[in-house]
Amino acid sequence: MHYFFQRFVFSLLSLFILTLITFLLSQVVPGDPAIVAAGPNAGAEKIELLRSEMGLDKPLTQQFLIYVGKLAQGDLGKSWFTHQPILEDLIRELPPSLELVIIAMVINLVISLPLGLCSARYNDTRFDSLVRLFAMIGAGLPIFWTALILQNVIGGELQLLPIAGRLSFEYRAFEGYTGFFLLDGLILGRLDVFFDALKHLILPAFSLSLLFTAVGLRITRTAMISEFQKDYVLLARTKAASEPRIMFKHVFPNGAPPSLTVFGMQFGWMLGATVLVEEIYGRPGIGRYAVKAVTQSDIHAVVAVVLVVGIVFLLANLVVDLLLYILNPRGRMDK
Amino acid sequence: MKICNLLASAFTVLSFSLAIPFTATADVAGTLIIAENETPENLDPANATNSTVNQLLVGVYDALVQFKAGETSVSPQLATDWQVSDDGLQYTFKIRSDVKFHDGSSMTSADVVFTLDRLQAASAAVLNDMGPFKSAEAIDDYTVKMTLEAPFGPFISALSRIYIVSKAQVEPHMSDDNGRGWLAVNAAGSGPYSVSTYKPTEVVTLNAFEGYWGGWDGDHVAEVVFRYIAEPSTQLALLKSGEVHIAPDITVQDKLSLMDADGFRVDIGAAATPLYFQFNTSSDGLVGDASFRKMLAQTFDRKLHLDYVLQGFGTMPDGPLPPDWMGHSTSTELPFNMAAAKELVDQNGWAGSTLKVRYLPAIEEEQAAVEQLQSNLSQLGIKLEAEGMTWPAQAATVQDLDTTSDINMIYNFPSFPDPHAILNTSFNSQNTGYNGGYNWAQYSNSEVDALLNQAASSADQSERATLYAKAQQMIGAEYPVITVSLPGSVVAMSSAVKGYRYSVAHHQTFNYMDISVD
Amino acid sequence: MKSFLNLTFFVKSPFEKLALGIVFFIILISIFGDFIVPYDPTQIDFRGKLQPPSLEHPLGQDGAGRDVLSRVLSGARLTVLSTFTVIFVVLVIGCTIGIFSAFAGGWIDNILMRIADIWLGFPPLILALGFAAALGASLEAAIWALIFSWWPNYARLSRMITLDILSKPFIAGAEVLGVPLWRKVTFYVLPNAFDVLIIQVALDVSAVMLSISGLSFIGVGAQIPAPEWGSMIADGRAHMSTAWWVVVFPGLAIFFSALSFNVVGDALRRELDPLIRRV
Repeated sequence: MHYFFQRFVFSLLSLFILTLITFLLSQVVPGDPAIVAAGPNAGAEKIELLRSEMGLDKPLTQQFLIYVGKLAQGDLGKSWFTHQPILEDLIRELPPSLELVIIAMVINLVISLPLGLCSARYNDTRFDSLVRLFAMIGAGLPIFWTALILQNVIGGELQLLPIAGRLSFEYRAFEGYTGFFLLDGLILGRLDVFFDALKHLILPAFSLSLLFTAVGLRITRTAMISEFQKDYVLLARTKAASEPRIMFKHVFPNGAPPSLTVFGMQFGWMLGATVLVEEIYGRPGIGRYAVKAVTQSDIHAVVAVVLVVGIVFLLANLVVDLLLYILNPRGRMDK
Repeated sequence: MKICNLLASAFTVLSFSLAIPFTATADVAGTLIIAENETPENLDPANATNSTVNQLLVGVYDALVQFKAGETSVSPQLATDWQVSDDGLQYTFKIRSDVKFHDGSSMTSADVVFTLDRLQAASAAVLNDMGPFKSAEAIDDYTVKMTLEAPFGPFISALSRIYIVSKAQVEPHMSDDNGRGWLAVNAAGSGPYSVSTYKPTEVVTLNAFEGYWGGWDGDHVAEVVFRYIAEPSTQLALLKSGEVHIAPDITVQDKLSLMDADGFRVDIGAAATPLYFQFNTSSDGLVGDASFRKMLAQTFDRKLHLDYVLQGFGTMPDGPLPPDWMGHSTSTELPFNMAAAKELVDQNGWAGSTLKVRYLPAIEEEQAAVEQLQSNLSQLGIKLEAEGMTWPAQAATVQDLDTTSDINMIYNFPSFPDPHAILNTSFNSQNTGYNGGYNWAQYSNSEVDALLNQAASSADQSERATLYAKAQQMIGAEYPVITVSLPGSVVAMSSAVKGYRYSVAHHQTFNYMDISVD
Repeated sequence: MKSFLNLTFFVKSPFEKLALGIVFFIILISIFGDFIVPYDPTQIDFRGKLQPPSLEHPLGQDGAGRDVLSRVLSGARLTVLSTFTVIFVVLVIGCTIGIFSAFAGGWIDNILMRIADIWLGFPPLILALGFAAALGASLEAAIWALIFSWWPNYARLSRMITLDILSKPFIAGAEVLGVPLWRKVTFYVLPNAFDVLIIQVALDVSAVMLSISGLSFIGVGAQIPAPEWGSMIADGRAHMSTAWWVVVFPGLAIFFSALSFNVVGDALRRELDPLIRRV
């Protein structure tokens, strides 16, 4: 219980620092924030009005309190580009991105965990070198370049997978409840939609996951190698326990937790990296929204994205920590 | 609990408009799919000066008068006829009595007055072209009187961009932002098509409006879809696979290759949209000096740009006005001459100076022009720093003299084919960037202003021609701009598309209301 | 210590030797690149627009007719220079904070490290994007943005090393002798931290490189006509279906540089790690 409480306080503290960072970000805008907020063709009166509305004439600490107060009410400000509350924009843009990141994460886990385990077991063999080479290559590939090449070769030249969008054009009128098309397809019993959405996710998710998979693979391998060197493995081997049993019953469950922490962090990083793939694959989402907001100097929208991605990051870490806490009773006692 | 609320509101956002079932008659059928690279800011008719917004609205809203696609003069639309008072200050319009908005309410003069009042209260960008417009009032249900501060020749033409909204629909949503928030995502028009889906980052769907007052003679599509695809290469792939019918933003190279390809057509419209390098004439720096600008004015090779960047699609510019327009004056801008520029640089010791240009990298020819200028200026020892932006961000920088860069690239899309819409928009000091206009050279010359105002208030075409010619010469002598090009409007489409015509008064839009798809 | 006499002690396999070779090559052309490029990398020539690879232009010409080979070679300097600027500044700032935090201890140490922890996990690209939005798009802004999001790595690392060293008996001896703080830092902490930091730097180079090119790719980094690899790819993507060379070659340049720095960093870590453990 103490551990749980500690994690919670840490997350709250993180949240506070996060809001402080985002607040400061919105303060360093060059020029007058009121002019930026007013948008093109505003005129002096409107700018003056906005200045007092935004509380820009008040001291900084007071402005920060106003900012936090608004955040608490879910008010992230208004995008001067879409004229809509930023919260609504983000609620619309977040599900497609989360869907992409979750699929990318699944790809990541499906490759990293088994390959990491096996290459640790066969450490320093040809197989291990091959896996390490793969990890090296993955860590050197620029995400956006891989995305472009895959899109053009697999989507364009070979026409094996769709090149852009979330759904095929014939499903353009599809509306779900959650904004997660995979989930909506299942809920509504529309398997055709489900598979169509999945087809559209493969290339972007794979491009997005490659770099992270490379890192995940290395971390898993390292963790597993040190696990294989532990005494209980030697003991099990002398007792002639079968090798698969040692790998899956003992080494894997004990070696996985440290890499799980990394995967938790990767979730947030991947969400950040969507800025590199969503635009290319013509997918709506928080990354494309962020890029658009940056190039339009829509500072409040950018800051809101930073905040929301930060919150998702904190949540992902909290979930992983709790998961470890539940899964690993030994860790519980250590704390 | 919070999550539930979020999901619920997400649901309402996504489903605010359901498709209106349209009982298709024999000649209203099929879907037209148009690709577009820039996503729209919103649906607000107050922003109809922006072509990305206007291309959606052009068939959703009606105006009192309208330029039909392919025509260079206005025809009545919601107005049936009008009278102008002798002093040119009062216009009285008779409007149609059979017009129904998409919500079913009937149009009366109250809607027209409400529309104009709202635009004024919101200080909307579309009013910049309306000259000295003062106010509108309803005389009776179907008569509207408009009053001007001063006579204004192109007033009727300017009304073509004033889209009439339904008062009954908009008034309840005025709140404190003059209905901007509501109209940003909702439409309240009377045009042949209504907005059925608005997902501005993905797709906007328009459906034929069954109760359209103009009727549905001829062949039309039942549905128009705008798909937002930023990548030119993706647009091309979708055009080739038949998933879009019109792809306006593919590279010039690809357009050239499609000209000879089976199943595709490339339309070349005689556009009148000058692309400028505008020099900040009010700057305290070097570009504020007319002799420096004289040097700059000679450093851009328009011919090379036309031949290799535009691949010949366009007209060789000779000053800001298209050469065949009324009032055009020849040789008001200096020709490309690096030797002369070099001499000026050497005389004045300008080598080693640094300038900054802002432009839109999403527009292929703008980036190419910047690269051309950078290359030429670097030969003269002048460094030209470039900053790529998007339209609203660039527009925000010119609102203040201090943040206006030395050079800005900007297209002028005239709202109607008249010298006023180019010269007044780009050079009248009333329209400087810091006054909210598109004169991003921040050019201010009271004599030029007087000539432009005089020309605008005159109805005598030959007198106007003389005044505009004189204005161009005076402007040219101060080198506020380089007119880079007058590109043609080159649009690639599937040959299944029938009835497309380039619309000079609505550049970068598509006359989807006249188009059918085989 | 013998290992430092031979600077290439740590590369073992031919693969690692090749990687080290590429790293040296990249550093060399980033210094001398401008003297060996066949053409001016910013000189446009629209007549040669999008010409495929040929004898005169081995990697073809881009959308403005510029020589892709010259641009790729001259882009090395931009990439290397900006990457090392980021790393160097981050190293200085991070280590200052880290060492300060370790010496200060108590609640200052606690708070600083808590901030670093939170910062560390935060998606660097998004944070950099926010920073670039505030500063306006330019390569300098992208560099600052990355510095802004990268410092905690080094703060944590240098704090750990410092604490480790401070717990060593010889420090207690120095304490007795009244050695001043600055001497403790310069004579004990920094030399001992060198190995660990050099590994971290070698491993971070590729990550910073990829981030800079990513920021340039989405338009908030280098501006035209700078031959930055990421922005070259962004420029070329419209022409990809007809002129693959404008996208493929700058991408390969990023890939091989990042890969080589990674391999070298990994080899360094493998060889130095036991040394470090012995400290």
